[in-house]
Order: sequence, then structure tokens, then C-alpha cells
Amino acid sequence: MKKHREMIFDILLIVIILLVLIPTLLGGIGPLPPREIRPLAKAYLNSTLNIYNKDLWTASPEAVAAIVWDYRGLDTFYETIVFYTAIVSCLILYREILGKRDISKGEGLSIVVKRVTAISLLGILVVGASTVLHGMLTPGGGFQGGAIMAVAPVIAIVVFSRLLVDTSRLSYSKVVTFRNLAILGIALTALIPIILNFGNAFIFQNQYKRSINFSYPAHILDVPMGGSLWFLNLFEGLAVLMAFYLAFNIILYSEEVSKEVILGEEYGY
Amino acid sequence: MLEETIFIIIGLISMISVLFVALAIVSKDLLKAIMFSAVQSTLYAFLLFLLMAPDIVLVYIAISVGLLPLISIVLIKKVGRYEKA
Repeated sequence: MKKHREMIFDILLIVIILLVLIPTLLGGIGPLPPREIRPLAKAYLNSTLNIYNKDLWTASPEAVAAIVWDYRGLDTFYETIVFYTAIVSCLILYREILGKRDISKGEGLSIVVKRVTAISLLGILVVGASTVLHGMLTPGGGFQGGAIMAVAPVIAIVVFSRLLVDTSRLSYSKVVTFRNLAILGIALTALIPIILNFGNAFIFQNQYKRSINFSYPAHILDVPMGGSLWFLNLFEGLAVLMAFYLAFNIILYSEEVSKEVILGEEYGY
Repeated sequence: MLEETIFIIIGLISMISVLFVALAIVSKDLLKAIMFSAVQSTLYAFLLFLLMAPDIVLVYIAISVGLLPLISIVLIKKVGRYEKA
């Protein structure tokens, strides 16, 4: 019986691979896109780093970041809010134990692992930070950099044990505050042009438009800054880092503590 | 010539990743299954890089090789490492 099942599994796998492989080899996915720059790409490139016509440009050589945070800024803002709300609802489920000290007095892993981790943690944070801060020049940006940086605290909790969180000065309420401030930063970056121009500006305005004389810095010391993109990336990165930190903080509570939440119903409160 | 080479590499990586998916499904040791799926994710990240989507690669590496295996390991720590036959 078991052998038959394994055989059926193998045959199914091979059939699936062939089903995908043969049409692909025979050109079943249709003609490949043409090699020259298409009109849509031209439109995007004209509005990202166009030094000849600065009326609609975003001052950023990175087209993806320019699109995501400039003229599709509201979309990205809503995505950020969805992620923010998801983590908030996750925290609400565990509201009884949030910020509590863990009962386990773990010592973490061995000294060798601790030393190696301490060195690589720095590397992870630097790579994440550079992804965030260079988001307007190279691929990457707020979410990507934030997710990379979020790996660092998670590994730290696993390797140095949860005692690290309990003894550190970065308490639960401080992390929540930082996260809210980061979201507020995104909103303010979007609203500052409107406030400074007494309502006569666009939301998520980056560079000056005709008749609206407000722009975030396009260059600082010859480095293209992408105007508002740098600030938005920075705040987004911080928000994502804090969000992941909070989520893993809850997940890595020891079982005795996290069970309190689930047992609530049985004790009648 | 370069384009064909890249396509051949993409094909090879896809085939190897299928192998690791199969191993992850078959494996009774769940910790090993997580490792296999992490290897598959690494190969996918390489695939995305060859398809010229570096923005996706950066977030995919962090999520699928860093955070997702960790959540899964926390999970199997609570439910037991070996799948019952």
C-alpha cells in the first residue's frame, strides 16, 4: 500500500513537470516581448529620472521605488496600513501577556554560537540599513530593508534566549511607540507639502510641479536623493522592523506564558 | 548566446528546486523538511534574480529563508519533530 502511494506520487510529479516543461519548450507561452524599449517603459523612464524635463520627474534613478512611493504613493500607504493593522490585531489576541517577563531563565546557545551570531548580527543590520537608505538608488527600499533587518532581533532572541528582551531597555511600549511614530512620519511626509502650501499642493508630492513651489531635496552632495522617497523608505523600514520584532516577540514566549491566553475561556473570564 | 545560457540555468535551477520540493513533501523528519524548503526558496531567489527582479529577491530572501523557517521551527518545537507514519 505504502509503495503504491509513493509510486503514484512519483508518477504524478513527473507528469506535472512534463505538463509544464513541454509547452514551455514548444513556445506555448507565446512570443517573447520585443527587445527594444516599449512605450510603457518609456513613459515610466521619462517620469523617474528625466533631467531634461523636470516637470514630472521623481529625481530617483530607481524606477520601482519611484513608482511605488511617488505617483502610486497612496497605494503603498494603504498596504503599509494593512500590515500595521494585521500586526495590531495579532497583538490584541495576546493582550494579556504583552510586555510581561518570560518565566524561563534560558541561557541561550553555546559561547561559540553567541560570538559568531554577535558578529553576523552587525552584518545583517548593516545590509538592511543600506537597503533602506539606498532605496532610491539601488533595488530595495523600505519593506525589503525592514524585513532584512527584522531577521537580526529574531536570531538574537533565539541565540541569546528571551532573557535578552526582558533585560534590554527596548521595552514593549517603546517599540509600539516607535512603530506609531514611523507611521506618523510617513503620513507627515505626505502631508507636509500640502501644509506648507496652505492646501495648494498634491498629496505625496515629491518634486515641484508647475505653480507649486515645493520639493524635497533632489540631490545632496551630488547623490540623487529621490526627494521624499528617502524619508518614506526610512519610515517604512522602521515600521516593518518594529512590526516583525513585535510579532516574533509574542511567538517566542515560552509555552507556559502563551498558554495563559488560550486557557482564558476555560477558567470563565 | 548569453540569453540561451541564462535560460538553460533557469531551467536547471527550476528542475533542482522541484527535487527539493519532493524531498520536503516525502520527508518524515519535519526539521529536514523545513531545511529542504529553505533550499528550494534559495533556488527560487536565484531564479528571480536571473529574471531581473532584484527588488523581489531582497524581500524573498529575508522572508522565505530567514523568517518563515524560523516560524516553522517554533511550530514543530511545539507539535513534535517526527511525522507519524
